[in-house]
Amino acid sequence: MSLLKEKYYKNDVFNSYERDNKFLDEVFDNEGKIREHYQKVYAEFNDFTSEDFKKLNELAKISFFNLGITFAVYSDNLNGVEKIFPFDLFPRIITYKEWEMIEKGVIQRNLAINAFLYDIYHEKHILKNGIVPAELIFSSAHYNREMINVNPSQGIYAHISGTDLIKHSDGEYYVLEDNIRSPSGVSYVLSNREAMKRSLSNLFKSCDVLPVQDYSEQLLATIQSVAPANVANPTCVILTPGMFNSAYYEHSFLAQSMGIQLVEGRDLFVERNFVYMKTIHGPERVDVIYRRIDDDFIDPLTFNPDSALGVPGLMGAYREGNVNLINAPGTGAADDKAVYTFIPDIIRYYLNEEPILRNVHTYKCESDLELKYVLENMEKLVIKPVDESGGYGIFIGSVSTEKEMEDFRKIILANRRKYIAQPIMALSVHSTYIDEAGGFEPRHIDLRTYCLLGKNKNYVLKGGLSRVALRKGSLIVNSSQGGGSKDTWVLKDK
Amino acid sequence: MLSRIANSLFWMGRYLERAEHAARYAKVHYFSSLDAPLAQNKEFILESILTMTGNLEEYKLKNEFIIDEEVVYTISLDETNPVSIKCSINRARENARGARDSISSELWESINKFYHFVNNCSRFDLKRLGIFIFTEKIVEFCAIVNGHIDKSLLHNEAWAFIHLGIHIERSNQITRILISKIIDIQKINDETLSEAAENYQCVTLLKSAEAFDMSRTHYQALPNFRDTIEFLILNNDFPRAIRYNLSRLSKYLGKINHSKLEEKDSLEFAVGKICSTYQYLLIDEIEDDILDFLYKTLNNIDKISDLLSKKYLNY
Repeated sequence: MSLLKEKYYKNDVFNSYERDNKFLDEVFDNEGKIREHYQKVYAEFNDFTSEDFKKLNELAKISFFNLGITFAVYSDNLNGVEKIFPFDLFPRIITYKEWEMIEKGVIQRNLAINAFLYDIYHEKHILKNGIVPAELIFSSAHYNREMINVNPSQGIYAHISGTDLIKHSDGEYYVLEDNIRSPSGVSYVLSNREAMKRSLSNLFKSCDVLPVQDYSEQLLATIQSVAPANVANPTCVILTPGMFNSAYYEHSFLAQSMGIQLVEGRDLFVERNFVYMKTIHGPERVDVIYRRIDDDFIDPLTFNPDSALGVPGLMGAYREGNVNLINAPGTGAADDKAVYTFIPDIIRYYLNEEPILRNVHTYKCESDLELKYVLENMEKLVIKPVDESGGYGIFIGSVSTEKEMEDFRKIILANRRKYIAQPIMALSVHSTYIDEAGGFEPRHIDLRTYCLLGKNKNYVLKGGLSRVALRKGSLIVNSSQGGGSKDTWVLKDK
Repeated sequence: MLSRIANSLFWMGRYLERAEHAARYAKVHYFSSLDAPLAQNKEFILESILTMTGNLEEYKLKNEFIIDEEVVYTISLDETNPVSIKCSINRARENARGARDSISSELWESINKFYHFVNNCSRFDLKRLGIFIFTEKIVEFCAIVNGHIDKSLLHNEAWAFIHLGIHIERSNQITRILISKIIDIQKINDETLSEAAENYQCVTLLKSAEAFDMSRTHYQALPNFRDTIEFLILNNDFPRAIRYNLSRLSKYLGKINHSKLEEKDSLEFAVGKICSTYQYLLIDEIEDDILDFLYKTLNNIDKISDLLSKKYLNY
């Protein structure tokens, strides 16, 4: 670890920057020189004092708060506690060349996943051919038997997917996980960009940054393109669990920016297999539902009978093809972390191509041999439940005590199917403004990309959500676990 | 538009208006008490504030004495009191949030700022700021929010539902203010009601509806009791007069239901029928039994609100 020399840090906001060569720093190279694509930003920041930054940071925070760009953290408090998703003013920059590769890789991956979903709910060739073990799919909590032989409009299951990437110390991008149920966070991408444009407009002018504001338009076009056949002007809605949901801000933001209705389960009803919403002028038919409710809750008649969030009879209308659901039910069978291991094979199988993006090597606790390795090398591994999100239930070997390790060993053995392990990846670090330090410090980041698949179209949001683990040394970037985010710039091709 | 959203917008309008009137009434009364004629002791005025805001009974259950600081806290920040200003603002914001995608960012942001102001204010802050600054802020925030309602929204159905809420609640609040003041006046022994005391009561009554300046312009005289109630009940051009507010309702209902026909069991017909009686009314007809008239008016307003809910807001 080397405390960097003054020659690179004229600016006092970089005074306490401690570089660690174990990790790849996105902004500085191994010798502490600023990477070329960050030079403009760095030069601009050089004009700021620590005080300026404090003010700028404060202003950005207040604007998020007033706009209500907050999320609820589940807690003892009934309504949850409202928090701002911390936003960092130092943008993460990706060169066009690097981005092209990411974009191609993400599309490739999601096309293959979509083909895989179609297959496992129809002929199941990939299982019959032994590429993916059948019991892995059938034992998945998210494999949805209601979806067998159902044909979603245009054969699309994964309309919206969020692929999480990290940059390892070897300088390569790796896919950390796929999110194909209802990936969240895109509203932060758009709001971060707005906040950035407002706070650092000069900097923005001098860099050629590709826009992200077309996302809402693209999303609406995607949703409309998969409406049931014979519907000329489809009525599309977003279905939210309600305003106490942690992502309610995002639901309302997306509805507003697409100009479509935000509905709750109680606003909808099904009659003769058609879905209607209750308006002041009587029932109005609904053709496409972008639902932000988990499979289990969308239809109390078919799934969880206690669900007050869903719409009784919705699955019946869906199976009849009278309404489309975004994403299709049952997509969770493909973003299961145990299935993740097979994605490179899945890409080869359906597309006959080599995967562009790498997978992190994954050990499945289900396999005896791999389990043995996991149990013997726990201190070197991250162990995760395959079917949970939000960073819950994760075990990180390097920071665990003997006792914790012993306890977790028991947890794994009690349900081997549920756990996978990966080597602890050295997530890259990025200069991040730290309030208490009054300056920049390196923090670990990842990148969530957003990919849309519609009728004859695919689209990847140019940039995505760079999530930052704000706690020093922490590798967990989830917002519910003290993560923040950065605006992510993809530079125009030179 | 979804019935649920219409319901949220309607109640957003009502809660905002409720908070505004409670704040203004408290402000005007609390400060007029400082230089009131002898008959108006402090406790009397605090009780009046509790009556108008609908807090008197609850307050007396919880507290033995009517204490300045406790009254101010109860009506403004007490979270356990469902009719406190804070609770009204929280509900207005909750309704706005539920209808977030149907209103403009400007309107939402103004309501959200309002909410944060009230929720960041502690009992200690209230004491430090004083009731004047606190209530003044509330009234000011309401004016900002109302500005955004009219200037940043499409004047369509959503806007009409907010306004129905505002006008119904405002009629309700003005009626309650009148009732509460008239009871005050009657409490003071009729024979001792000097001209000065009458004038004092009329001024505070008018100020509670932000009507003092305009009524002077209108009557060009110091307010007397008859002119004051006439102004607040029957004026056609003053936006806080009951007649003015009720006469607007048909216009907003027309924004929602475009059919020109007013069928005899329709909502429009029923509301029109109730409101039109206020159009053709003279102060002489109601002056003698004014309280009875005002209680009937409260009933009428409730009836309109019920009819509206039945037709549009159930989901």
